[in-house]
Amino acid sequence: MMPAHEFKLSHFQAMVIFALVISVAFGFLSRRSASHRAKYILWSFILFIVIGVGIGWAMYPFSH
Amino acid sequence: MPDEVPIAQTETTNAAPVPQAASPDPAPPPSSDRHRRDALALTIAAAAWFVPGLGHAFLKMWGRALVCFSTVALLVILGAGMRGNIFSRNGEDSFAKLGYVADLGAGIFYFVAQALETNGPDVSHANGDYGTRLLATAGVLNMLAALHAYEVTRARKA
Repeated sequence: MMPAHEFKLSHFQAMVIFALVISVAFGFLSRRSASHRAKYILWSFILFIVIGVGIGWAMYPFSH
Repeated sequence: MPDEVPIAQTETTNAAPVPQAASPDPAPPPSSDRHRRDALALTIAAAAWFVPGLGHAFLKMWGRALVCFSTVALLVILGAGMRGNIFSRNGEDSFAKLGYVADLGAGIFYFVAQALETNGPDVSHANGDYGTRLLATAGVLNMLAALHAYEVTRARKA
């Protein structure tokens, strides 16, 4: 079996895909109604991105 | 999506009077019922681990089953496509052994990842490193889903 093609993703693209997939999975596992799931997924996704970018900026001074 | 019908809702209750009448807890189920449910929960957890989403499908939680299967599949396809490292059981250090446990958590998708990654891993670039993390995430996520199916079967979760 051969992969269709190799994926080349930037760090940010990988983070966004990770955040989206995990948010959807957590939302469906932890909430029952559609509205609660939608709210949970949205909040979780936003927090993943904001905290990820925030940690990236917090680490910036140590990389130089 | 009202797709959840936990099988534990069909549990029979003990009608015998309970000595602690002041306690708000219902009477515990008979021991044989509890053992049968524990065995069923373990079977469903094993099925959920081996094929992502199968445990929730047995519980007729179709939405959760579909999401478990598709998220684990997506993460494995991406991780293998990015040439992430798939750890084997012959890991030399603790990190490799822990990585093997995480990767194996994806069940049958562990072998799918091995089949997809024909060119082997390439962690000399950041892309391969991200792929390694995505593969481990797929395994851990599937283990969490299997634990959820186990808890639902034991009527501890909705």
